[in-house]
Amino acid sequence: MSKQGITRRQFLQGTALAGAAAVISGCTLSLQKKEYLEPYVDMPEFALPGESVWYATTCRECPAACGIIVRVHQGRAKKVEGNAMHPVNEGKTCARGQAALQALYNPDRLRAPVAQSARGSRQFTSIDWNEALNTLYQLISETDPARIAFFGGDVPDHVLWILETFFAAIGAPPPVIYSTHAAWEGKRALRLVNKSLFGVDRLPVYDLAHADVVFSFSGGFLSTELSPVHYNLAFGRMRGRQDTGGPRGVVVHFEPRLSQTAAPADRWIPIRPGTEGLVALALGRILLDEGWARNTAAAPFFAGVDAKELAEVTDVEYERLRHLAQLFGQAQAPLAIPGSAAAAHRGGYQAVMAVQMLNILMDNLGKPGGLWLAPDTRIDGLTPKTEPASLADVRDLVERMRSGQVDLLLLDGSNPAYGLPPEVGFVDAVANVGKVISFSSFVDETSVWADYILPGHTPLESWGYQVVDNGTDRLVISAQQPVVRPYYDTRDVADVFLFLAQALEPARAQLPWLNVVDFLKSRMEVIRNLGIPGSFALDNVEEAWAYWLGNGGWRSKEPLWSAPVLKRELSQAFNLAPEFEGGTEYPFILYPYESPTLTDGRGANRPWLQELPDPMTTAMWRTWVELNPETAYLLGVQRDDVVKVISPYGEVEAIVYIYPAIHPHVVAMPLGQGHTDYGRYAQGRGANPVQLLGGREVDVVKDLAWLSVRVKIVPTGRRQRLPRLENNAGVDRAREVGFPG
Amino acid sequence: MSTYNQGTDEHRWAMVVDIDKCTGCGACITACYAENNIPVVGEEEIHKGRHMGWVRIERYWEGEYPNVRARFLPIMCQQCGQAPCEPVCPVFATYHSATEHINVQVYNRCVGTRFCANNCPYITRVFNWFDPVFPEPLQEQLNPDVTVRSRGIMEKCTFCIQRIRRVEEDAKAAGRPIEDGEVQPACVQACPTEALVFGDLNDPNSKVARLAESRRAFKLLEDLGTEPAVIYLKGGDAHVV
Repeated sequence: MSKQGITRRQFLQGTALAGAAAVISGCTLSLQKKEYLEPYVDMPEFALPGESVWYATTCRECPAACGIIVRVHQGRAKKVEGNAMHPVNEGKTCARGQAALQALYNPDRLRAPVAQSARGSRQFTSIDWNEALNTLYQLISETDPARIAFFGGDVPDHVLWILETFFAAIGAPPPVIYSTHAAWEGKRALRLVNKSLFGVDRLPVYDLAHADVVFSFSGGFLSTELSPVHYNLAFGRMRGRQDTGGPRGVVVHFEPRLSQTAAPADRWIPIRPGTEGLVALALGRILLDEGWARNTAAAPFFAGVDAKELAEVTDVEYERLRHLAQLFGQAQAPLAIPGSAAAAHRGGYQAVMAVQMLNILMDNLGKPGGLWLAPDTRIDGLTPKTEPASLADVRDLVERMRSGQVDLLLLDGSNPAYGLPPEVGFVDAVANVGKVISFSSFVDETSVWADYILPGHTPLESWGYQVVDNGTDRLVISAQQPVVRPYYDTRDVADVFLFLAQALEPARAQLPWLNVVDFLKSRMEVIRNLGIPGSFALDNVEEAWAYWLGNGGWRSKEPLWSAPVLKRELSQAFNLAPEFEGGTEYPFILYPYESPTLTDGRGANRPWLQELPDPMTTAMWRTWVELNPETAYLLGVQRDDVVKVISPYGEVEAIVYIYPAIHPHVVAMPLGQGHTDYGRYAQGRGANPVQLLGGREVDVVKDLAWLSVRVKIVPTGRRQRLPRLENNAGVDRAREVGFPG
Repeated sequence: MSTYNQGTDEHRWAMVVDIDKCTGCGACITACYAENNIPVVGEEEIHKGRHMGWVRIERYWEGEYPNVRARFLPIMCQQCGQAPCEPVCPVFATYHSATEHINVQVYNRCVGTRFCANNCPYITRVFNWFDPVFPEPLQEQLNPDVTVRSRGIMEKCTFCIQRIRRVEEDAKAAGRPIEDGEVQPACVQACPTEALVFGDLNDPNSKVARLAESRRAFKLLEDLGTEPAVIYLKGGDAHVV
């Protein structure tokens, strides 16, 4: 890396040059403070008094990449609406997507770059971008590249591609990309199972709309997992067939707790936690024995399985399993969907495989209503080559940090200090890192450990794209554009790195673009070179660019999902059973779940989401612990009692909610609250159940096994009303069955 | 009798709620907050039952563990044809609109007696106990088409009348009839399962008119004679052991 080649003076000259270029191209990257006198009567482009305009972009509240159209009025974003042309969500949105506005206009956003006097002190002083970028430049150019680390979460594809290219060029290790949300949705297990069975490292896509009997195994495909808006749409269509003379789709949901996804199902079947794979094994055995299986290629997997024995282990009677197997086996279009909790314990990999085996047995691969594989999203020049990290990879990074091998840590799009179990040791390890720079828009639990925070734009102010990795049959490159000018003095992370590349000789050749818009325009050619007929012609860059922005991206004309083909001989299933930490003094299994409103906690600073009632409990603003009425009775606790939930790893306090639809040996807690930072709406309320988890990993997958600890419940003697929409009479099943209320 | 084809402006706007499709996700609620400038009231007010949402999703438990089912029932103003809220308003702040056939709330007439809320059998009216607070710069999210209500004012679902009016005006200006599906209240537009459908009952070919004929159709508290404009389609019941 050329460190001598550039002096500070030359660097600043480069800054000015890039700034001027940016102003000319109309981009937001103005590196010099320039002021223009605007004539009084000139309106900004497209801003007509009293008229709204709508801009197509991509929702980034979760990685599903729904297309949205944002209503903008007088230069202010007013309403998030779905993009009807977008194959993922077809004009629909979820509550979290609506709340994207409250990231943009959040009162607790960082308004400019800041330096922190001491890490964790929360004593910030504003700095200007020239100083911020100079500091970043100096740190990157003066640090041994091998000792630079980038830790990211749900970073959009274009940023990741730029980062990857940048770090490769300067000789630094590739970015470590770990999304806690992905761990909670079990994405890694789904990919690896597909890789093992079908030889392709892609996510599954379920043709839910055309299925007629769906067996769902502890999934949240209607709340937070994979592509929730898409699957809600498909669910509606599956049910809607009855209005046009078709069969009404039936859903049976297996889970220890009746979740939001279980609620609209026709039947919820409580099982012991972590036994989804075992239920699938038993069902598969019966399907084979009764001759209902349509493809016996998967038979070896079920060798030696005793369905009656498994009935005992899973808490589902054998007769019932047999009836269910018959329902599934005789359906026209049966579909099995493995959910996140199936993948979240030690044996999760095999458990997910067992559920997919049911699809193989019923021969629905690549058929209407069956299992498909998402289009290949590995595209040179568009998507990063860096694999998403496993928890094991994160541990490696944390170990490097702890042992002082990291001199510069860059953080973006993730909140590991909040989202990873304390046992992983992220916060402790940060103390041994030379310098820490975060690009977060907020002071959160992680960025509070940074020396500098160089706030990026919020998604509605950003350029970019996301290649949709699951949820639709098309190849979709979903475009992101700023719907409003940046509200504060923030800067696009992609622009920051493109700018640094200009000053760092080895990176400049790889990243010759002056700003992110130039980079994105250059991608039109990359898409054209795919040679896939798409939603618009790509021959002329400017024309393509207009369509790109107007349509919210590019998509293939034809479906590009593919039928899975079993690529190997199967052998007997093994190691499907869960394993829980904590001895007999911990009588309950902790069942944490992503909040349908706050997901993994990222939604907690949006007041709309805080005050959106949880679908199942109607609770808001706090953290509760769900107890079966019988369990509550045996513990002598009532609704609104505050209890300590104690695991071998930690303890948190939560308010008791008597939940009539949960296995008596299980206590469930939603994620999302328990923030110590992250703004006025998030901090200081509720508890974070991640504090109770150890760092156990799922076999093979090496991701967080979040369903693997036992807990005990200790009453504190205090009471606190849980804010909820529902009145007390509606809450207390306990009272109705004669328990003291 | 349908007046739709007779070239009049009269509409019977109606909503269909298919509870067999509702997954309780809450997209309708948040979309409504965004469209209609509904304030967030905070934990303490929630305890007092002062959640301001214009649409709520009721969740009903059925049965005992392990044979439990949960059902979702989204409830918003039913836009009654014979509305119990209307005759009790001393200042005509709540009245029946002759052209849209919905119940209209005139904010600057309302004096806050809360009689209407008291008389609503569906409990869909909410009252502004305080002036709304939008900490800087959250006020930027406010929809310019909708009044921000002040303290002492009653409010409720309007079927997004600002959206109805906009489409009506656009259609009128273009000299064409309103197409089915052209008017979409924010909740209907967001609803990811398409459980919510909106349209004109006076148009016999509209989707709502057809769904209203479904054997699954019913109305809430129908026996009160309120003639709601919200039609529910009941959840299917596949018998699964």
